[in-house]
Amino acid sequence: MNRVHSVLRRWSTRWLFPIVALMLGGCAGPQSALDPAGQGAEDIARIFWIMVIGATIIWITVIGLAIYALRLKPGPHHRRRSGVWIIGGGVIAPTVILTGLVIYSLAFLPQLLARPPEGSLQIKVEGLQWWWRVTYLENGEPDFELANEIHLPVGEPVEFLLSSPDVIHSFWIPALGGKVDMIPGRETRLTLMPTRTGTFRGVCAEYCGASHALMNFTVVVEEPEDYQQWLAEQRSPARQPAEELTILGRELFVSSGCGACHSVRGTDANGRIAPDLTHVGSRHKLGADVLPNDRASFERWIRHTDDVKPDVLMPEYHSLDAAELTALAAYLESLD
Amino acid sequence: MKQHLKTIVVFLLIVAVCGGLAVVSGVLPIRASDGHWAITRWFLNFSKERSVAFHSGGIKVPDLDRQDLVVKGAGHYEIGCLQCHGSPKREAPRVVAYMTPKPPDIASLVKEREPEELFYIVKHGILMTGMPAWPSLQRDDEVWSVVAFLLKYPELDHAAYRQLALGELDLNEAPDTIEGADGGSLDVPHHIVESCAMCHGLEGRGRGHGVFPVLAGQNEAYLVETLIAYRDDKRHSGTMEAVLGRLDVDDLRRLAEYYANLPATAALPVSGTDDSPTDQERTEAIERGRQIAMEGLPEQKVPSCADCHPIDGSTINDEYPVLNGQYADYLELQLELFAEGVRGGTDAANLMQPVVDHLEPEQMRDVALFYAAQPREESP
Repeated sequence: MNRVHSVLRRWSTRWLFPIVALMLGGCAGPQSALDPAGQGAEDIARIFWIMVIGATIIWITVIGLAIYALRLKPGPHHRRRSGVWIIGGGVIAPTVILTGLVIYSLAFLPQLLARPPEGSLQIKVEGLQWWWRVTYLENGEPDFELANEIHLPVGEPVEFLLSSPDVIHSFWIPALGGKVDMIPGRETRLTLMPTRTGTFRGVCAEYCGASHALMNFTVVVEEPEDYQQWLAEQRSPARQPAEELTILGRELFVSSGCGACHSVRGTDANGRIAPDLTHVGSRHKLGADVLPNDRASFERWIRHTDDVKPDVLMPEYHSLDAAELTALAAYLESLD
Repeated sequence: MKQHLKTIVVFLLIVAVCGGLAVVSGVLPIRASDGHWAITRWFLNFSKERSVAFHSGGIKVPDLDRQDLVVKGAGHYEIGCLQCHGSPKREAPRVVAYMTPKPPDIASLVKEREPEELFYIVKHGILMTGMPAWPSLQRDDEVWSVVAFLLKYPELDHAAYRQLALGELDLNEAPDTIEGADGGSLDVPHHIVESCAMCHGLEGRGRGHGVFPVLAGQNEAYLVETLIAYRDDKRHSGTMEAVLGRLDVDDLRRLAEYYANLPATAALPVSGTDDSPTDQERTEAIERGRQIAMEGLPEQKVPSCADCHPIDGSTINDEYPVLNGQYADYLELQLELFAEGVRGGTDAANLMQPVVDHLEPEQMRDVALFYAAQPREESP
C-alpha cells in the first residue's frame, strides 16, 4: 500500500501537476476567453462553464453506471428496468438537455446582436493583409486614424464597424467578446462592453494568407479620464523632431519616399496604403503586435521586413546604411 | 552465337582502349588551323541544323517590323556582333577567317533562317563555335530586337547600316567639349563617344526612339549605381553588359558625371507609328496617369509615384531616377520588366516591386505617358 502511495505521489509531482498548471496557465492572460473583461465574453464564459459542469455530471453518471453494470453487478440485469435506463438516458435525457441548452444559449443572441444606444462610441476597423486600420468616428465621420491598437473607456458600450478590402478576416478580442468576420464588399458590426481595465490582445481568427498568425492588435481598456487624454494625444498632429538625429531621420523619411504609403499627420506624408504612423512611437507593439516597440525593432522592420512578416507588402530598404537606418528608426520612435 | 558475342565485346573493348589512349597521349590535334574533316563538318552541321530546328519549334514571334526595334538591334550589333560577323560598313577582321568554324556571313545566313531560329541562336549561342549566349537570358525583348535588325540586314548598304547603328553621330567629328547644365563647357570623355553616344546621344537625349533612354540631367548617384549594377549583373541587359565589359569603375563614374551634368532636356520627338493614339486619347491617358502619379490607387494598394519621383523635375533622393521628359515607351518597358521580375537594378530597385504587382498594363501605359509629358527641367 505504501509503495502504491509513493508511486502515485511521484507520478503526480512529475507529470500531473505540471501539466495541469500548464493548461490552467492558458486560462488567464491577455488573450483568454475564460478570463473575461467584457460583457460578451462573460456571457460566453458562463455558457462554457455551465456546459462543462453539465458535461461532467453526465460523464460521471454514465461511467458510474458502466462500472455498476460491468463490475459491481455483473451478469444479467432486469429487462424492464434496463429498458427504462436505455430509453430514458439514451433518448429522452439528451433531447431534454440539448433542447434546454439551445434555448439557453439562443437567449443570449438578441443581447449579442443588439445595437448600442445612440451616441455610443463607434470605431471602424478594416482588416488588411496583415494589419488593422483603425478609424475612430465622431458622429459617423472619421475623427482620426491609427493602426493595430485600440483604446476603449471601461464601462461604455462600443460599436465596431468591420470591413475588409482584400480577403476575409475575422475580428476577435477573446477577453472582451465573440468574433465577427470581416468580409470584402460588406460591413459587419460588433458591439462590445468592457467591464474592467487592462491590456488585452486581439487576433485575426480567419486564415487570411502567409502572415495570418502575425496579424494581431493591442486593446487597452482604461479609465475614462485616461482614455480622454489618449484621445487628445492621438488627435493631435505628429511631434516635430527636435534632436539632430531625429531631424535627420525625418529627412530620410521624406527622401526614401515613405510618405507614398504611410501618413504622418502634420507633415506632407499622406499615403493611404500602409499604417498611419502619426503616433507610432506611442503604440505597445510594432508590425501588428509582432515586435516590441523600440529602436532596434524599427531598424529590423525596415531592413528585414520580409523576414519579420513573410510576404508583407512593404519592401525592404537596403539602400539605407546603418547610420541612416538608426536615424530613421529614432525619428519613428520619437513619434509618440 | 556465344563465341560471336565474345568476339564483338573484345573488339569493342580494344577500340575503346585505343581511343582512350589516343586522347590521353595527346596526339589528337585541336588546331583551328587544320579545320575539320569533311565528314566531321557535315556531321556537326547536320546535328546543329536538327537541334536548332527542334528547339526553336513553338517559339512565338512578336511583331518585328518596328523601326525602334530595328534601331535597338542595330545598336547591339555594332557593339557585340560585328567584331566577328562584320557589317555592311566594315568587313569582318582578317583574324576571324582563321576561326573554326568561321563566323557566317549574316546577309546570306538570314535568308535561310526563320525568325524563331535566329532568336534561338542569338539567345543561346552555339556550343564549341565561339557564338556566345545572350549575356542576360531574362531579356527576350532585347534578343528580339536583334532578330528584328537581322531580318533587315540583307537589304542594308553601307549608308543605311550607318544610319541605323550610329544615327547622326560621326565618330571622327565628335567635339571635345559640350555645353553643360551650368552654362560652362563640359569635357566629352572619349568613352562617351566610343561606347555611349551612338545610342544615348552626345547630348544624352536618346535618338528619338523610345528604346534608348534620356540620360541628360539624370541624378548622378543613380547613374553610377545603375552602371555598377549592370556591370555586376544586378540589372539585366545583354547590350549594356556588352558595352560595360571594357570599362572600369572610374570610367563608369566619369560617364555618369558627364550625363548628369548635361542640361536637363527632354526626349527627342518620337516619330509616330500607325497605332499612335489620337491627341484626344493621349490627353485622357495623361490625365489618368497624373491621377496615379499624384495619388496612387489606394484601393489597388498602389502608392503614388510622385513621393519618390517628383513631378516638378526636382529630386528627393539622388539614388532614385528622374522620370520627367523620359520616353514613354522606355518607362513602360521598365514597368513591364519590373512586373516580370527581370529588370533588376540598384539596391533600391526592389522598392518598385509592390508598385508594379498591383498595376494593370493600361495603367502602366498611362503613367508612362504622363511622366513623358512633364518638363525635365526643374521648375524654378
